[in-house]
Amino acid sequence: MKDDLQTSAMHPQFVSLLRQYARDLAQIAPSTELDARIGLLVAARRPNVETARRVPRRMQVYAAAAGFAGLAVGVGIFIGMRLKPNESVARDTVWPAADLTMWPTDSVSFKIPAEYSAQGTLVAVDPNSKNTSTRYWIDVVVSNDGTFRIERIVPADPNHTRNGHDGTFHTP
Amino acid sequence: MARAMSPTRAVRNFSRARRPNAGAARMRRAGEAAVHTMNDDNQCMAQLASGNTSALRELYQRHGRALLRFSSAMCRSRQVAEDMVHDTFVALLHEPFAFDPAQGTAFGYLCGVLRHRVSRHFRQQKRWVTLDTDDDASPVHASDARSPADEIARSEITAAFRHAMLELPLQHREIIALCDLEELPYTAVAGILQCPIGTVRSRLHRARALLTLRLASLELIDLQNDSPLTHRGLT
Repeated sequence: MKDDLQTSAMHPQFVSLLRQYARDLAQIAPSTELDARIGLLVAARRPNVETARRVPRRMQVYAAAAGFAGLAVGVGIFIGMRLKPNESVARDTVWPAADLTMWPTDSVSFKIPAEYSAQGTLVAVDPNSKNTSTRYWIDVVVSNDGTFRIERIVPADPNHTRNGHDGTFHTP
Repeated sequence: MARAMSPTRAVRNFSRARRPNAGAARMRRAGEAAVHTMNDDNQCMAQLASGNTSALRELYQRHGRALLRFSSAMCRSRQVAEDMVHDTFVALLHEPFAFDPAQGTAFGYLCGVLRHRVSRHFRQQKRWVTLDTDDDASPVHASDARSPADEIARSEITAAFRHAMLELPLQHREIIALCDLEELPYTAVAGILQCPIGTVRSRLHRARALLTLRLASLELIDLQNDSPLTHRGLT
């Protein structure tokens, strides 16, 4: 059927069938319908032949892709800039500054009269009672968050100084 | 892929008609005619690219019959085969710039386009599921039943051969159609299939082996007997 290289391994009966089938195929001719369809193709005008070059079309695709990529980057930057302040506002809302402050904003101070007891400790006494020993004023500050602190302890008699030249006791 | 062909290869490619034992003068005349045809094909493609649609008719008249043979060998239906050829020329009309004469011949390019169309057609066919579960519609049953000759095969034997060939995978079917039925040289087939020549050889060997086994299972050929099938009217 062909050169020896291509037909050497083929079975003779297979070659016979192949040859007969090729002969049948060779008798095929395009139908009149296909001829008519090709005729219609030929008759139809192809629009924009000169502008339908491959390279410009490819360049248009590349330009469109580059434009889309640039637009996507711009939108990403814009969204990022919008999200940044919103994030700080959300953090402030979740963690209010008042909850994190070390010192309260409102407090009340008291002066408590106190005297030394027999055990050597300062105990509060009735302000109207008579002094049995040296009396002191204890300045106490109570805050609205429930904490309190002792500001200072001063002798009720300003002329009587025991500790320090200004007559005050400072809390540690 | 390097598809540059020597003048002798180009001659073989375009002289698809058989000319065994031809003399030197006859071969030289045929070669000159083939080169002239190739130049005409390139001119037709150039004219088509410049907007002259009448070149499409010229290309169809030259290669339409061969393309229809190839398409008929690939497709089950004659109508589908003609649709594939039509789609090939539609694609050529829409994109004539895709053809590069330096990479191959116009006929090889058209065969490549047609091959892709057929492959796409079969891929699309896989999406459809037939509602008819009757086994009579299967090609295997049809070949076993020795159905009467169809619209392409002229006898029952060649119809059975055609059915057996249509059962092959697509890549085996196309290699037999191009190498054995169209008798294209390996270089041209490698250019059409865009694969090395070694792949063409190995794929053709496998396709022939598969088809031979299938024909033997259908008792169309006897593997034990090497004599040709002269008793069935075949030569």
